[in-house]
Amino acid sequence: MSMFEDIPVDIGIVYEGERIRKSDLFIELGGPKVENKFELVRVKKPNEVKDGQIKIIGKDISEFEEGSSIPIGILIEAAGKQLEEELEGVIERRIHEYGNYIEGFMHLNQRYDIWMRLGKRSYKKGLNSFKIIGEVLFRLFKSELPFIESMQVTFITDPKKVEEMSKEAMKIYEARDARARKLIDDDVNEFYGCDLCQSFAPTHVCTITPQRYANCGAISWFDGRAAARIDPKGPIYTIEKGECIDPVKGEYSGINDNAKKKSLGEINRVWLYSAFGYPHTSCGCFEAIAFYIPEVDGLGIVHRDFQGKTVNALPFSTMADSTAGGRQIDGFHGLSIEYMRSPKLLQVDGGWNKIVWMPKVMKERLADYIPKDIIDKIAIEDDVSSIDELKDFLKSKDHPVVEGWKELAFEEKVPEEEISIETTSPAMGMPVAGGGFKIILKDAKIHAKKIIIRTPKKK
Amino acid sequence: MTRKNVDLKIKELKSNLGIMKDLRLSVGKVIDDSWEETIGPTPYPSITDLRNWDMKILQKYKPFYMPFCDLCCLCTYGKCDLSNNKRGACGLNMEAQQSRIVLLAACIGAATHTAHARHLVDELIEKFGRNYPLDVGGTNVEVEAPVTRLVTGIRPKTLGDLDTILDYLETQINHLLSATHTGQEGNNLDFESKVLQAGMVDQVGMEIADMAQVSCFGFPKADPNAPLVDLGFGAVDPTKPTIMVVGHNVPPAIGIMDYLNEKGLYGKIDVCGLCCTAHDITRYSSKAKIVGPISWQLRFIRSGLPDILVVDEQCIRADSLEEAKKIKAPLIASSSKNCLGLEDRTKDPVDEIVNDLVSGQVDGVLILDPEKVGEVAVRTAMEVAPKRKKFKIIPEIKDLIEIAKKCNLCNECRRACPNDQEIPKAMVSAGKGDLTKLEKIYEECIGCGRCEYVCPNEFPIHSFIVKAGEKKMKQEQYKIRAGRGAIQDVEIRRVGQPIIFGEIPGVVAFVGCANYPKGGEEVAEMIEEFAKRRFIVVTSGCAAMSAGMVKDEDGKSPYEKYPGNFDAGGLVNVGSCVSNPHIAGAAIKIASIFAKRNLRGNYEEIADYVHNRVGAVGIAWGAMSQKAASIASGFWRLGIPVIVGPHGSKYRRMLLGRKDRKEDWYVYDSRTGERVYGGPAPEHLFYAAETKEEAMVMIAKLCMRPNDNTKGRAIKLSHYIDLHKRFYGTMPDDIHLFVRRLSDIPITMKDEIVRILDEKGWKERIIPDPTLLPRMVRKKANKK
Repeated sequence: MSMFEDIPVDIGIVYEGERIRKSDLFIELGGPKVENKFELVRVKKPNEVKDGQIKIIGKDISEFEEGSSIPIGILIEAAGKQLEEELEGVIERRIHEYGNYIEGFMHLNQRYDIWMRLGKRSYKKGLNSFKIIGEVLFRLFKSELPFIESMQVTFITDPKKVEEMSKEAMKIYEARDARARKLIDDDVNEFYGCDLCQSFAPTHVCTITPQRYANCGAISWFDGRAAARIDPKGPIYTIEKGECIDPVKGEYSGINDNAKKKSLGEINRVWLYSAFGYPHTSCGCFEAIAFYIPEVDGLGIVHRDFQGKTVNALPFSTMADSTAGGRQIDGFHGLSIEYMRSPKLLQVDGGWNKIVWMPKVMKERLADYIPKDIIDKIAIEDDVSSIDELKDFLKSKDHPVVEGWKELAFEEKVPEEEISIETTSPAMGMPVAGGGFKIILKDAKIHAKKIIIRTPKKK
Repeated sequence: MTRKNVDLKIKELKSNLGIMKDLRLSVGKVIDDSWEETIGPTPYPSITDLRNWDMKILQKYKPFYMPFCDLCCLCTYGKCDLSNNKRGACGLNMEAQQSRIVLLAACIGAATHTAHARHLVDELIEKFGRNYPLDVGGTNVEVEAPVTRLVTGIRPKTLGDLDTILDYLETQINHLLSATHTGQEGNNLDFESKVLQAGMVDQVGMEIADMAQVSCFGFPKADPNAPLVDLGFGAVDPTKPTIMVVGHNVPPAIGIMDYLNEKGLYGKIDVCGLCCTAHDITRYSSKAKIVGPISWQLRFIRSGLPDILVVDEQCIRADSLEEAKKIKAPLIASSSKNCLGLEDRTKDPVDEIVNDLVSGQVDGVLILDPEKVGEVAVRTAMEVAPKRKKFKIIPEIKDLIEIAKKCNLCNECRRACPNDQEIPKAMVSAGKGDLTKLEKIYEECIGCGRCEYVCPNEFPIHSFIVKAGEKKMKQEQYKIRAGRGAIQDVEIRRVGQPIIFGEIPGVVAFVGCANYPKGGEEVAEMIEEFAKRRFIVVTSGCAAMSAGMVKDEDGKSPYEKYPGNFDAGGLVNVGSCVSNPHIAGAAIKIASIFAKRNLRGNYEEIADYVHNRVGAVGIAWGAMSQKAASIASGFWRLGIPVIVGPHGSKYRRMLLGRKDRKEDWYVYDSRTGERVYGGPAPEHLFYAAETKEEAMVMIAKLCMRPNDNTKGRAIKLSHYIDLHKRFYGTMPDDIHLFVRRLSDIPITMKDEIVRILDEKGWKERIIPDPTLLPRMVRKKANKK
């Protein structure tokens, strides 16, 4: 018998993308029409949780009129020896995933922003109580997350109660976020590694720390922690931190050992917080690239949705080519958006003081995380469209990189070196020396089956 | 840049360098080598260079022959009966003969696309020059020609570059075709390897044709938001003069649109197309309309709507001139490959030609100049339209009933019908005034007209069917997204990871024609099913049209419901037949853009990558021409499985894997070099499904790849199991072969599947980093 035989609707991943349109909906829970809504997971002591209990505070689904939009709260309380408060956020996001497995039930967004719809057809099939939804969630959580030993689910529809509890939930989210932001690499003993991308970047060893998100932007340190516990043999695993070799560069003996092992000796050292020297490898699915612009001795950052060319005249796609493949490339560095919110962002290279260009959208998105004294000094695509314009821009704004130009002698415009292409005929294979001798050809016939022309490499 | 046969003559030159007299420099080939990507082992592969790879594939998917005919009639030693292990006069056995015919078909297909490409490129070079730059997607498409790069090792930049590549393709087709001569190749597997070469060549030929036309005609350039255009019989305005264009080579149709534009006649005349010319003309101008696929030709002509027919090449009914005559519409043939016995009037003055056509002095003309076709077609249509007043040969209902009464039920029509439609019964009912049975046949009819040719009473049976379906036909009014061309590199980057992991459960491509009873509906239904399941659904050619010919309860067609981007839940019309390589190209680009594998002349490695990691499946649902054979072969060589519809057994052989033979499914784990059981994924390379339900289950199943990660495999399995349960009512019997670790199990089915695994004595296995090529096993680095 399948684990959902007694549930009146089907449960499966195939319903994940299902959308319930307005005309099909029986009831809307949360969403833009109601002010108060929330979902929350709390880790409790075993004696505080009644395993399998599903409670409803307020009216149940069938007691509402068809087509209503109602305030909703979902509270999941769980206990287990391996469970810790840090994992609450990770577990909470699974409500979205599992909720969508229910046929005719749609779950969007998270936390205080949830928006669910139950379709008429599934309602008619018998999905008419929160008890059933709770039961499905309960079974999925218990079977998927073995560290949850006991769990109870409460649905709240009483408007007053939802309002009251959602305020409480807001405080908990905030506290949780503050704690997560405060968590620094020094505070933890374990980092996490992820093997997934090795299938296309075999020497890529993704290292996930509290202050350096996975390149793909999809796995935080907390996610890593939960995943490693759920499936210890899975692609996400624990890296013992080992000894801290260099706190500024972010070099740890544990990370180096792991990299060596996982890359079959290709990568032996990793500096977590730099785009140069021994940078973290770049897979192929990084959200953004930090790229060195030698003309200004600064770094540009471009994210993968940016259409068009960056300030160095290359689009994301071209630079991604130079970055990807699990390699350590000086000055082409794959990273996640979340890492840009980290105070450790490229700290070896100067952090935000080294960033000279980024797309407008990204700058807006990260505005709260870019230091106030530098934010206006970083150019966007509307400000400049060439390196020369960038130079002028940085100079006019007195960007910190300008300070360094003098020693690097960037100030003087070096006249572009004209590289004349020698017109040596490869068939003759003779170097053309200036003056001195002449070649006289009479009635000459030169046949070549094939001539290969190579552009001379720039020095 | 590539150049061939450069010849330089210098009579006398005095310079600092020296004095030269009568210098003659000739160079066979000049190759630009500024492309820094390392060149792989097989640029411009000969017909044997990839033979080892082919044999690996053919070992896994052994050809299973289903002779369509026991005889060989190709030479005058014969006919030779090859049944029961007999050999022919030349010594060839049945297996080799079947694969030889497949090779012939694949060569015809490849030659057709390549000749089409040659025609386009030569004409465009003459018009725009050799140095005209190729541009298929601006800055969003860096890898402009994935298939060409992969096969030839060239990065084409200009029209002239395409010329050089075509030389190679033509040579290959020549060699391949010669292998089918009596007393040449004798081994079936070697024939099969040559079939794969023909398929690969075909893909390059198509890619070149589409690149040339996208670049020169300003078609949508890799645009997910290409415009929605009118589709369906009902979209044609019966009050306007109508020009019907049919075929695959778009320049004559463009000549028409340009002339209309120039004379400000847009809107006064309807230009509507069938088959791929229809796709390509709507890519050129969203004001043109698509009537429908190949099977709509007869019914559209007989409806009397077209005032002139302009035919170019491929998939055109050979009797189109006779059919046009019946409705008093003149015809212009515009391709040297399809002259229809007409006089070549290319050099005659336009006035004379128009006059001859309008007055009915000639039924049709051959004009081999696309611009002239444009002017003649428009002017003739304007003048002919008021005269013929949409003259049709579809009978009136009362006449139909009278004639039907005279049917003597000989049953010949039903016997001639490729789909065994019960025409005699429908005739009896019609004789009694009830047209519902004929109307039902309209929905299933593929418009071949064979029923009429066998009727001893010479009844226009097809016209009867069309009359019965007339009301439906006039309601056919839909929207289709014009062919967008290539897939952008940025799109690939976004979906590369979820595809490789299996989290986007598959890329499903519906190509070719849907010529099968209810074929269009079935294709549309399958497309909806997989788009809803958030696969990436890709379409091209007539299948793309069929896909659009349904509406939901809100009156929306699939192209209006699903976005046109290459992403989960997208419905992507790449364009005409020659746009097909954008599909294979997307798979190839995943390997290059996402996984950083070199493409250049590196076929085997990339095919190995695609085969083991990219969950793509092609579906060609209806009966189709030889082009389908070559298109499918191009997919096979990349290790991409193809499913064909119930007519598919007529392809003479399938490429079926044997999941019961464990030894067939070992791969190398490139991390360790160990040989590891990778499971039967994908299980088949070429498979004929009897029903749409069987096809849908098979699509979901064939999307599995050894590389899927556990989450991806769980998602793929849940689609496979869900569809299997829905259509067969049972759990599939081979789940244990696809579950490698417990975390592969779809979480909502855990109990049920774990029990099955226990029964089957299942053991946990490793998930390899899969490859069929020992050379891809990673070496330990010797760094300190």
